[in-house]
Amino acid sequence: MKVDPITVELLRNRISSIMEEMDYHFYRSGYSTIVRESRDFSCAIVDRQGRLLVSPWMFFHSPVYFHYVQRILQLYGEDALQDGDVFVSNHPYDANLPHASDMGFVAPIFHSGKLVAFACTIAHKADVGGTVPGSTFGSATELYQEGMLLPPVRIHHRGKAIPDIERLISANTRAPYVVQGDIAGQIGVTRIGREQIQKICERFGADVLIGAMDQMIEASTLEFASALSTLPEGESEAQGFLDHDGVELNKQVKLHVKIKATNGRLHFDFSECDDQTKGPVNLRIGMVEAAVYYSLIGLLDPDLRYSDGIRDLISFTFRKNSVVNADPPRPCSSYMKCCQKLVDVILEAMDPLMPGRSIAHCGGSGGSIIVAWQGKTKPKRGNQYEIFGSAYGAGPNGDGTSGATPHLANLFAAPIEIIETEFPCRIRKFELTPDSGGAGRYRGGLNFAREYEALEPAELVYRSDRAIEAPKGLQGGKSGGFSQFILHPDSKDAQVMPSTCRLKIEKGTIFKLNGAGGGGYGDPKSRPKKSIEHDISEGYLTEEAARRDYGWNG
Amino acid sequence: MAEYRLGVDIGGTHTDLVLTETRSGKLFIEKVASTPSNPSLAVMEGISRFLSRGVSSEEISFFGHGTTVTTNALLELKGSKIGLLITRGFRAVQEVQTQAREGNQFDLNFRRPPPLVSQSMTHEIAGRLDFEGNELEALDEEAIRIAAKSFKSAGIESIAVSFLFSYMNDRHEIRTREILEQEIPNAFISLSSKVLPRIREWPRLSTTLLNAYLEPVLAKYTNDLDRGLLKLGVTTPRRFLMQSNGGVMPLKTGAAGGKSVHTLLSGPAAGVQATAFILGQKQNNPHLVTMDMGGTSCDIAFISNARPLEVTEGAIDARRMDIPAFDISTISAGGGTIARLGVSGLISVGPDSAGADPGPVAYRKGGTQATVTDADLICGFLNPKFLLGGETILSIDATEEAIDSQIAGPMGITTKEAAAGIVRLINARMADEIRVQAAKKVIDLKNFTLVPFGGAGPVHAAMVAEELDIPRVLIPPNPGAFSALGLLCADIIHDYIQSDLVNLEELEPEKAEEKFKFLEGKADEELRDEGLEGEKRVFIREVDLRYAGQGYEIRTPLEGLSNAEMSKDVINEIAERFHEIHHKQHGHSARDQIIELVSYRVRVSVPVKKQAHWETDKILDISKKVSSREVTFDGVQTLDTMVYQRESLTSETISGPAIIEQLDSTTVIPEHWTAHLDDFGNIIAERQKT
Repeated sequence: MKVDPITVELLRNRISSIMEEMDYHFYRSGYSTIVRESRDFSCAIVDRQGRLLVSPWMFFHSPVYFHYVQRILQLYGEDALQDGDVFVSNHPYDANLPHASDMGFVAPIFHSGKLVAFACTIAHKADVGGTVPGSTFGSATELYQEGMLLPPVRIHHRGKAIPDIERLISANTRAPYVVQGDIAGQIGVTRIGREQIQKICERFGADVLIGAMDQMIEASTLEFASALSTLPEGESEAQGFLDHDGVELNKQVKLHVKIKATNGRLHFDFSECDDQTKGPVNLRIGMVEAAVYYSLIGLLDPDLRYSDGIRDLISFTFRKNSVVNADPPRPCSSYMKCCQKLVDVILEAMDPLMPGRSIAHCGGSGGSIIVAWQGKTKPKRGNQYEIFGSAYGAGPNGDGTSGATPHLANLFAAPIEIIETEFPCRIRKFELTPDSGGAGRYRGGLNFAREYEALEPAELVYRSDRAIEAPKGLQGGKSGGFSQFILHPDSKDAQVMPSTCRLKIEKGTIFKLNGAGGGGYGDPKSRPKKSIEHDISEGYLTEEAARRDYGWNG
Repeated sequence: MAEYRLGVDIGGTHTDLVLTETRSGKLFIEKVASTPSNPSLAVMEGISRFLSRGVSSEEISFFGHGTTVTTNALLELKGSKIGLLITRGFRAVQEVQTQAREGNQFDLNFRRPPPLVSQSMTHEIAGRLDFEGNELEALDEEAIRIAAKSFKSAGIESIAVSFLFSYMNDRHEIRTREILEQEIPNAFISLSSKVLPRIREWPRLSTTLLNAYLEPVLAKYTNDLDRGLLKLGVTTPRRFLMQSNGGVMPLKTGAAGGKSVHTLLSGPAAGVQATAFILGQKQNNPHLVTMDMGGTSCDIAFISNARPLEVTEGAIDARRMDIPAFDISTISAGGGTIARLGVSGLISVGPDSAGADPGPVAYRKGGTQATVTDADLICGFLNPKFLLGGETILSIDATEEAIDSQIAGPMGITTKEAAAGIVRLINARMADEIRVQAAKKVIDLKNFTLVPFGGAGPVHAAMVAEELDIPRVLIPPNPGAFSALGLLCADIIHDYIQSDLVNLEELEPEKAEEKFKFLEGKADEELRDEGLEGEKRVFIREVDLRYAGQGYEIRTPLEGLSNAEMSKDVINEIAERFHEIHHKQHGHSARDQIIELVSYRVRVSVPVKKQAHWETDKILDISKKVSSREVTFDGVQTLDTMVYQRESLTSETISGPAIIEQLDSTTVIPEHWTAHLDDFGNIIAERQKT
């Protein structure tokens, strides 16, 4: 049914506001730290084929919904879906979830007996079983070590809960209470989405909504195609390396992309990426798409509206059994660090095709620590879990931003005063690392360092990247600083640890985490003296580095 | 001798003044052009006009003031040059903030707003406390003196001090202030333990920095104002400044250490306070949602049980500021909001705006892009000859041509269809925002009345209400000057907070009582400094609670518990109340989880005498001044629509479609709606029952 364009736009705005409402409800009702603090979740309304109409605020799940809903349709058939059904899955291979810790819920929405849309949500779970507490096992070698696996199955049928499934899930997590709370929250938001879409149907008619959804996707596809049409024809490639896969610590992992622009279409060829890895840095297709679409929107126009219509304009080549197209049961719980690196590589490859738009490599995820305290000086609160940001690469419009979570991640740092109140540790320093921003006409962002003192013995797990390949500069800019984890810093016992390690520490141990800095942009020699001296006076740059990297002579 | 109370609200383009005679309730209004370079000039001009109308300056016994002087200084980055002292080793608190990004997530060129203080003017001071406030390392007083000297030679007049854990123990910060005062006698000093003694170092630092940045600005402004008032012979000591929480504070308090930041969101607060007090409490409309639609944006706030909803965490211009404020959300929907046709063939409305300059096409002040006001004109909602009583003549021809060439032509629809489409879209966007905000606040809109003000609000309100199934709209008598009335009905309010994280079950009642008494003591001290010690005052106790490990707290009032004094029983009642509030807000509670008390709050409120009734003019002859014109709501059908002058309305009911015009606003009554005046002179528009 052809719907007038005013109504289409009105309904697009409405769907966007329904998704915002779903988001907010889940954020406020989620129990687990990861949901609350990292906001590692999204909520969406998709059409009858699983196509997203507008992007959720946390973008990187966007391409996943399509694969997930398609799989449900394929498994069950549209005719078997019923009003009040809710499906659940966390399966990276069967349903394309990023990793087993992400649990997705999908509820078909009916109006007058007709399927009109789906209400969906994906959220990280505190624990889904597997080898280690928290389930995201940095040294996993098999999917099965990363937690229980749920293929798409019903958890509600015709409005009634199926307690069997919930009991099955509860029996497979170390944190049943928290996980149950989050599941209730997720099912709750699919209900909100369903009711709101049904209200639209009552007012406008289901056929109008269905027609309008098609037109929304057509419209955003047109918008995207029009932005792409400005690209000249051409080909370009780039590559980068992860330090390792978390298991084979002496082997870097190559990510490579060749991009071909023809006729306002783009083709991404990933066939030169390394083989699938033993450790958990393998990517599912939804995550590769997320990295590609994110990069393109950022380059073309950050205000472009995403929908799954973009799939018609972008094509891919993957080599079977490569790190971006792995086979089960390859593990994938550390997908984010691979995704972040892939964005850096894509932006670098796009630079010749769209001059003056790309930025240099970012510091990626600044690493994470999980500390299990062993003493009794404080009441137990579970593990101390912190995820750090890094820094932005510089771009053609200015210096990179220091101390931020870049690109696909957007995580909040835990406040020092909360950490010291809750856990037996003392933070000794929280500072930007001078000279960690890559030199250039525009300087890369500086990463930050945090130095801790353990007030009890503990077991500590550290995971990071970019200790071997530092974030690269662009257009003649220099690399940003390496990431680093140091035991006993500034002492004769100082010891640099590998970018994935697990260790026992004694009371009184001091350790320091350093993220990686952003790459620089353009020739450092062309940076204005005033900017160099400003960096020196602000403590961002030492005089020694100014002389060495910028040729500054005081 | 007559007695008058004066309210002055400075806005971006106009300064509104309202004067009431306390006995009769008679209301006088003046509107003068604002004078941004020295805002007090417009205030003086407005007061002079009242004086020339026969009011004597000594008859003015109260002066309530709302100003955006701090807000503008921040937005234009024209605050003071400041210095900062922080705990040694913690420079990254200001640089990294939360490490997360707000705003467009696809922006590869993400930037934070420029820092209010440079790293070179940030000095690290040794002196560390632990999480309980115990001293681990002594304060390095010499380092403070060295820093002070460098501030002095850099010409810095305002200094922020924000040490770790200062909310648990303020001795280091107090000592720092003593030393700074010795070294730089006239400096403004903002201590984090005074501005916001609350856990979480970044929001505390950010709020303290904002205060330091703006305090000298506010001090200079209040000085100018004091001098100006004196010159005009306005001698009343009862001079007050509006705050973001809807209360007022004495004018001199605003610049006396730690309070400047409380004025930052006061602009829209006055209108919300006016709504809550006049329409809510006095006129008995307990549930209201306000929609203040101006040239570029629309501010939305909820009033439940005649009390505006509040927040304690917020931001302005992407700068964090955790002080109590009315919960007001702003969207880009105003008269100047631009409509355009995208490459996809869909119209988008906003987010950019033509504002007041160049303004809508119809104003012919250089605007070329079709706006909401232009669409309103084409639909027939606005009278081209009557806007602001005829001061501005709108151009229909230019407007038609713009909408036609930019939107209607390319889409193959009529100009009227395009205009009606733009109106539909902007209405739906405001409705979407109100719906989402209501959902977040667990509000059932069916019991609410929509209150529009601002120039464009009453044009769109009934149509927005229709979208939301809100059955009732109330338009106050002077929508343009309504905000200023809020300045005459606000109490003196000060908020105090103190963090001290503790498991609620283990909390000793005596210790909690001590904390509250300590905050109440601070309040009394402040009132004494303000010369208000003899006045009746009310303390309101609250606590911020969370389930152990949660990242946010819920403000839990203690009002109405069995006893005001803390005891084991009262603590149990508090826990019960927290579970209930959590359940109401989030749909569940967790009775088996540990509850943590994070902060204590005390609000002191000194009641200000307010107007009991407001006299409004009523003209009883509805037959006069009625005309009609063609209006379209859907762009297809044109309805011959009655046009009334507001002054001619009575309590008799008129049926939509109808237009009601007045000097500063136009009210649109759609089909299936009726309108009448209530006893207070408000227009009540209601959806006809079907």
